[in-house]
Amino acid sequence: MQQRAEQLASTLPPLLVAAQRVAATVAQGVHGRRRVGQGETFWQYRRYVPGDSARSVDWRRSAKSDQVFVRETEWEAAQTVWLWRDTSASMRWHSRRDLPEKADRAEVLLRALALLLVGAGERISLLGEGLPPTSGRAALFRLSHGLERPTAAPAGVPAFEPLPRHAELVLIGDLLAPLDEIRSLVGKFVSRGVRGHLLQVLDPAEETLPFAGRVRFDGMEGEASALLPRVESLRGDYAERMVEHRAGLAHIARAAGWFFSTHHTDRSAESGLLTLYGALARERMS
Amino acid sequence: MLTLGSLAFASPWLLAALAVLPVIWLLLRVTPPAPRRLAFPAIRILHLLTPKEETPARTPWWLVLLRLAIAALVILGLAEPLLNPAARLAGDGPVVIAIDDTWAAAPRWDDRRKLLLRLVEEADHQNRTVVLLTTSEGNDEARRSSGVLRPLDARAIAQALDPQPWGADLAASLAALDKLQLPSAAATAYLADGLDRGADQVALIERLQRLGRLTVYASPVPQLARALLPPDGLASDLVVTARRPVAGAEAEAGIRAIAGDGRLLAREPARFAADGLKTEVKFVLPTELRNQVQRLEIENEASAAAVVLLDERWRRRPVGLVGPTQFDASQPLLDELHYLDKALVPFAEVRRGPVADLLKRELAVILMPDSGALPPAERAQLTPWIEAGGVLMRFAGPKLANADDDLVPVKLRKGDRALGGALSWGRPQPLAAFDATSPFSGLAVPAEVTVQRQVLAQPGLELAERTWARLTDGTPIVTAERRGQGWTVLVHTTAIPTWSNLPMSGLFVDMLRRVVALSQGVSGSASTQPLPPLETLDGFGRITAPPPSSVALIGDDRVGSRHPPGFYGTDSARRALNLGPFVADAAPLAELPRGVARASYAIGEETVLKPHLLAAALVLLLLDIVIGLMLRGLLPGRAPVRAAIALLLLLPAAAEAQTRPAPPRGNAVDAFALEATLNVRLAYVITGDARTDETSRLGLESLSQVLSRRTSIEPDAPLGVDVEADELAFFGLVYWPMASSQPMPSPAALQRLTLYLKNGGTLVFDTRDAGEIVTDPRAGGPGAQKLREIARGLSIPALVPTPPDHVLNKAFYLLHDFPGRFAGGQVWVEATRARGEDEVSSVILGSNDWAGAWASDASGRALYAVVPGGEVQREMAYRFGVNLVMYALTGNYKADQVHVPAILERVGQ
Repeated sequence: MQQRAEQLASTLPPLLVAAQRVAATVAQGVHGRRRVGQGETFWQYRRYVPGDSARSVDWRRSAKSDQVFVRETEWEAAQTVWLWRDTSASMRWHSRRDLPEKADRAEVLLRALALLLVGAGERISLLGEGLPPTSGRAALFRLSHGLERPTAAPAGVPAFEPLPRHAELVLIGDLLAPLDEIRSLVGKFVSRGVRGHLLQVLDPAEETLPFAGRVRFDGMEGEASALLPRVESLRGDYAERMVEHRAGLAHIARAAGWFFSTHHTDRSAESGLLTLYGALARERMS
Repeated sequence: MLTLGSLAFASPWLLAALAVLPVIWLLLRVTPPAPRRLAFPAIRILHLLTPKEETPARTPWWLVLLRLAIAALVILGLAEPLLNPAARLAGDGPVVIAIDDTWAAAPRWDDRRKLLLRLVEEADHQNRTVVLLTTSEGNDEARRSSGVLRPLDARAIAQALDPQPWGADLAASLAALDKLQLPSAAATAYLADGLDRGADQVALIERLQRLGRLTVYASPVPQLARALLPPDGLASDLVVTARRPVAGAEAEAGIRAIAGDGRLLAREPARFAADGLKTEVKFVLPTELRNQVQRLEIENEASAAAVVLLDERWRRRPVGLVGPTQFDASQPLLDELHYLDKALVPFAEVRRGPVADLLKRELAVILMPDSGALPPAERAQLTPWIEAGGVLMRFAGPKLANADDDLVPVKLRKGDRALGGALSWGRPQPLAAFDATSPFSGLAVPAEVTVQRQVLAQPGLELAERTWARLTDGTPIVTAERRGQGWTVLVHTTAIPTWSNLPMSGLFVDMLRRVVALSQGVSGSASTQPLPPLETLDGFGRITAPPPSSVALIGDDRVGSRHPPGFYGTDSARRALNLGPFVADAAPLAELPRGVARASYAIGEETVLKPHLLAAALVLLLLDIVIGLMLRGLLPGRAPVRAAIALLLLLPAAAEAQTRPAPPRGNAVDAFALEATLNVRLAYVITGDARTDETSRLGLESLSQVLSRRTSIEPDAPLGVDVEADELAFFGLVYWPMASSQPMPSPAALQRLTLYLKNGGTLVFDTRDAGEIVTDPRAGGPGAQKLREIARGLSIPALVPTPPDHVLNKAFYLLHDFPGRFAGGQVWVEATRARGEDEVSSVILGSNDWAGAWASDASGRALYAVVPGGEVQREMAYRFGVNLVMYALTGNYKADQVHVPAILERVGQ
């Protein structure tokens, strides 16, 4: 355990650096919520209208004219985001040496997202740790701690937890579990009023099946192996099935009002993060 | 042992395993290759696909075929196949082996003996007795038939058996065979020499066939023994005829002419046309060499018939004609020597001149036309020559008739005798038939040959025996006397048709021929005397001591066991007896009767094929593994597959490539040649020193521009040449600056440079060290030392400092010195140049660094300072360059300017 933790930790600093880099790139591209709300940042002055609290009147501004102005701040309501990434064995796979493993990419995305969220003042927590969400650097530290700890029973989908209402949930994984399993899980979360984001991380090889010849495929999570005599002849069928599966996922997400997107490991992590962060930001603006 | 043609299997029962191949086929068809294992996360989706694809995988048919081939190769290999298996004998009785030990069996006798020994060996293995039967003529009983022997004894006989230099007597062999009481269950073999011997041979073959299963071994047609026929002894050239028993394909053989001491004098190829039995080979040799030829033989054919021995009859004799060296060309028909010359040229080498000149070289015969008494000096020279074996043949005429000379065979009466004519009853006399003792015996005497005048001999006791030819009335017309080893011969009439029409007849030529032949020491009567064998040929055509069976040769005996081919007579008078003419009708062995197996001697060594087959199987197995990996996708991408296939293909090719010479750099060479020749170009030698080379290039480029501007020479950009690789012949002028880092040219390059100089090229050496401070004036500067090193291997003519009137001074500009970057360095040119060449000095040597003075950059600015004269000196350097190129390209025509003053002066007058 200890050894594995160390091993994992040894790979983490670069991951962390990558996550920070990714996050920094994206943070410049994403702006604030651009709405009036609770917060500390000045947003605008507006005429006083009856009903405004006297505390909100900006006296210094009002003294410069005959009007009474109210100082409005930008909306900075903190939100709770629960993060989860797939740690199952099937994620520890890459088709080519120059591609990262899916698990690594998922973790980079998750960490980068966490950095962005914490930077935006949100409260985050790792799903399945049973810890309340926190904000600030402490939250990052806790998240890091949780990520480094090996999961007891890694699975393709998270176990259901009764999350508080209006919490946001981000699930990053290959989402290759049977659709029914995913549907029931999403259903449970939705019934709690949780809004979610699904990001499917796939290796390009899982999309195109670029193998040839007679191949015995072994499952990575104890599934039965599959012997295919001429893999190249099955590419078309396989791609169809994959698209079907993804369509099923998209359907589940749409039905639940969740966000769904697919990220390939041969694309840059930034693009995945941008997609995800954009979705989250939209969510908060709506 | 299972035998299929030249292939046999030592363990044929293993071939039964071939029946398993169809089973292997079926197994391979249904058993797919092992899959490659691959972890894959999206396996659930694959599972959705699986049911549809559960059809069993099949191995492609060609892969099955490959594997079947591997299996078949292994099975065949284990069955131990043998190529050219050792001979096997049929039956179980004695083994009767008849072998031709004639001359025709001598070539490839080793093959025959090997086969014979193998057969005996085989008989030994099977514990059978052996009967050896030889067929050559003259064999005694013991050799003819060995009787029934144990194989061990037979082997001893077989090992000692050698071919005889004569033909076969199959009837005797048949008789010897009949004497043996043999059971019929014998195995018989006939090791024939491949020539047809008529009915006796058929009888022998049938007899052998009756005894048991018969195998006739005969050489294939191209290996049949050939024969060499002796040349016509009196033809002007040595023309020897080679004959082969059967026509068919074109063939070539070398004919060698060998001297008595074994020296090879000449070798000429004999080419048989496809349908030709004979071919003639002509040896054109100087007389001295021709006379040394003692033996002609077909190369690589060790047989008595392939050797022709030459005796004195084939010597081409040098014959001297006493008289002026030149014909009187205006009236040749009045010249005595003309008739002699015409008669002798076909068979003898004729020399003309006074006696003293003639005797300076070896001569066999001296012919002397009508002359008076010989001067004492000539007499003194001729007498010892005749004593030593020379033949002096004189012709009579008015001068001799009135002279008193004793260098004639018989005493002559003064004056001559006229036969016929206006005032005579007598008629011109024809010649009588020649006596048997005369050297002319056998020559036909034409009736129209008549003699009108002759000189008469004094009657004497010895006159009759000294007379070689008479007229019909009995008066001698040719007399001869033996003097010491030689002869004096007198023809009692003239060598021109004034006294007789004999010189115009064919008989005259024949008589001269006989006289010339006489000079060999073979007298006409000698042929009837018994000639004891001197040295004879053995079956392989080697000269050996005569066998005991040989007896003296009388007349024209046939070659046989009594008269083996070889030399007969005595050491001084040898007569060659050749086998060739007696076997000139040889024909190949006819069709064999039915039931007789025919085999070839060309049984190579038994070759065991097992390792080859197993190796082939191994290679195919490796190929199969590669294919298997490909099919399973374990060789991803195309590049590795291609590399593997290329490797497989290259393995045999690599070995081949080592023996193959590197491909010629034809294109590069051609491109260089085109570049160098399509326009005039200056050239410089690439020294390997980058700075020097660049200076040379820029310098010559500037010079080319100057030339284009000022003269009609418009050279293209200069070319650098590599003396090791590039052809120099394209350049009239090659500039070669000395650089200290320059490597020494290889010997090949030096040779090419020498050739270039010899063929009229001009090398301009520039040691570039005139500005250096030289510590040792004898050694010279560094450039001079380098040049000395390089030039050591070049053949450079003697050089002199440029004389003031040298063409280099005035080829275009009038110059007094030749400055470059430096001034004052001495310029050397070739001392003299042989007339007939262009008289351009092949080497011009200086030290002024001309290229440095010429060199300028792209914008025309000079690169190096010129000392001490500045720009004026640079201009002079350019002028020298112009002169140099002019001189190299136009040669010495400006040298004619020397004569201009003289010519003008003459014209003015």
